[in-house]
Amino acid sequence: MEPLSQTWKEGLAENITFIVTKDCQLACKYCYLVGKNEKERMSWEVAKAAIDFVLEHEYDPIFAQESVIWDFIGGEPFLEIDLIDQICDYIKSELFRRNHHWFNSYRFNFSTNGINYDTKKVQDFIKKNKSHLSVGITIDGTKRKHDLNRVYKGSEKGSYDDVVRNIPLWLSQFPNESTKVTISSADIPYICESVLHLFELGIHAVHINCVFENVWKEGDDSLFEKQLMKLADEIISKNLYNESECSFFTEFLGKPLLCTEQNQNWCGAGKMLSIDAAGNFYPCTRFAQYSLRDKEAWIIGNIHEGIDNNKLRPFLTLDRCTQSNPECVDCEVAEGCAWCQGENYDAAKTHTVFQRATAICKMHKARVRANNYYWNKLYRKLEMEGKREEFEKSHPNVKPEIC
Amino acid sequence: MKPYLQYLVILLDDTSVAYCHANNPLTERNLMPIETLKKAILFGMKQNLMIQYVYPDYELPAEYSEVIESIDHIKIGKDVQVLNEVPKAVTTDNLVLRLTIANFIAHQYDIAALLPQVKRLNICLTDIESFADAQQEDYKKALATLNAVLVNLYKSQQQPQVNILTDRLTLTEMHNCEAGIGNITVAPNGKFYLCPAFYYDEKMGISNRMNHKTKDASRSIGDLDNGLDIPNKQLLQLDHAPLCRICDAYHCNRCIWQNDRLTWDANTPSHQQCVIAHLERNAARDLQQQLKVAGFQTGEDIKEITYLDPFDVKETW
Ligand code: SF4
Ligand code: SF4
Repeated sequence: MEPLSQTWKEGLAENITFIVTKDCQLACKYCYLVGKNEKERMSWEVAKAAIDFVLEHEYDPIFAQESVIWDFIGGEPFLEIDLIDQICDYIKSELFRRNHHWFNSYRFNFSTNGINYDTKKVQDFIKKNKSHLSVGITIDGTKRKHDLNRVYKGSEKGSYDDVVRNIPLWLSQFPNESTKVTISSADIPYICESVLHLFELGIHAVHINCVFENVWKEGDDSLFEKQLMKLADEIISKNLYNESECSFFTEFLGKPLLCTEQNQNWCGAGKMLSIDAAGNFYPCTRFAQYSLRDKEAWIIGNIHEGIDNNKLRPFLTLDRCTQSNPECVDCEVAEGCAWCQGENYDAAKTHTVFQRATAICKMHKARVRANNYYWNKLYRKLEMEGKREEFEKSHPNVKPEIC
Repeated sequence: MKPYLQYLVILLDDTSVAYCHANNPLTERNLMPIETLKKAILFGMKQNLMIQYVYPDYELPAEYSEVIESIDHIKIGKDVQVLNEVPKAVTTDNLVLRLTIANFIAHQYDIAALLPQVKRLNICLTDIESFADAQQEDYKKALATLNAVLVNLYKSQQQPQVNILTDRLTLTEMHNCEAGIGNITVAPNGKFYLCPAFYYDEKMGISNRMNHKTKDASRSIGDLDNGLDIPNKQLLQLDHAPLCRICDAYHCNRCIWQNDRLTWDANTPSHQQCVIAHLERNAARDLQQQLKVAGFQTGEDIKEITYLDPFDVKETW
């Protein structure tokens, strides 16, 4: 199994995201996209102009990475499969025609709700691009957990059945793919059963995280801790740790951090580029208007005028300690405590990306406690069985993926 | 020393003279009510702040005089003369020249001719955002023109100050505009602003970046009745400015209003701001070298550097 946290060319690839549509079949209850709609679909003209812009600026620092990941998100990106197919064909032919340094060092990446995964158009696209493709299907766990949040637009009907039927096909095509699970307050009681269910479905890598928004209620942290401990017990007692991983448990978690040596920003905003239907550029999708509750979009340029580098400077000078409050700087379990730059911006008191939102604080602390429990228990067991060394060899320590 | 609140700028009228980077777009008179003025002075006294009155170009009603004179102060627009064009001659020791970059370059010799007539000249560029890298050579040359005159004046025992050239000679740490940290502005409406530019923006309905919670364009940070309330005040401090804290263009204005307009983050300067400040810093270094040769001691040596924008040499994590 590929270690959970290794994404393709991690750190060496530029991320370019097309927000091809702001529409989706679902209306997930935790979805941060406050401005979803059916109207804003990317046109071919905008997509082409964006690709031309990016490829023409091959030697600009922002596009100088040795590889590129072209991300397609929505809404639901596969709603625009015709456009996506056209975009990908054009990218391939232009990379070749321009003898661009990304030729043969590119990837197309999709996060889909999986509903129309088995349609002919999507399947034809997958076959055509298989060697340069990653597709992640979002499934939240058991039926009751999934259907709690991931419901169809305009009804309360859950989407579990329509997604789960596509999982075997998906796994046969992408056996090493992971799924992303997002936890909000109401989901806490289902965490353990959901992760185990995903393992049972054959998904061996589960990326799971708590939402960054301020949704947490009194007592959520202790419920969360109990769920994670229950999950830890199950994974360990059923020996699931050998072939499956859940990102809640990692060895890079819960130590104090120094501002001198461990000062990096968590999130990659500013080193990526997102493009929407209007042809506007953003440091990350979370800065587009449809993702923001309180703030105006942070547009850094557009397909006609290019990028205003001044608007990127805050992102490219961000470090952990400058944006953190003194409590976070001095925190004894700061390691692995994540943030989302977009949420930081949205929740900040002023127009800044330098104010860290800490709604997740008590949840991180609970996670650290459960994580410590997991590793102590697992290593004790492995030692007793004389298998610790073997385990460590087959599970190299890989830093968790950021953002 | 860590800056602390020392100055209270009182805008006596909406049409009070603009004395810094931002032009004043307000054209209708709106005098600060005398009761507001009294409250502002009282606030300044209690906070131990030095008052700086900013004057409009008309005579104030007679009853204002007594109130104004009730406390030690500086009169901007009177004691300190502010001009938007280069005059042929000046009658004041302390002059602020607000110029576009093109005007500064075009009038460099006229400006140099003013140097023997003043004790201090503050050059304030009003269109930093439009500075193009292609203008660097011209700007450098204009600074060199002033340097040449300054060196000769030093030799004849005259030592006029020019903010963008001589300030850096004696500074050993950042000394910037410090809006919201070292000084605060009170407008005719009795509200506080980080500096007059934020008041102009509010009046013109331009954005509301510093205070997004109000859906109108409010940019105030408190008022005379309720006191100061500066959200994210730490971001105005040097230690929260990742580029400026590693920089040694100590004289730079580090204009947070410009930052807010150009990079959308008050603690992050634009490329233009940094390049201009570094051309000045390097010109100050040239001046220092020339003065040294002429036998003058001018503080710590300014080092030679290879960049014009600290962004290009920032730490990467
Ligand atoms: S949010 Fe809480 S747990 Fe995270 S670093 Fe800050 S104080 Fe620590
Ligand atoms: S030159 Fe740039 S980095 Fe240096 S103080 Fe001025 S604004 Fe800050």
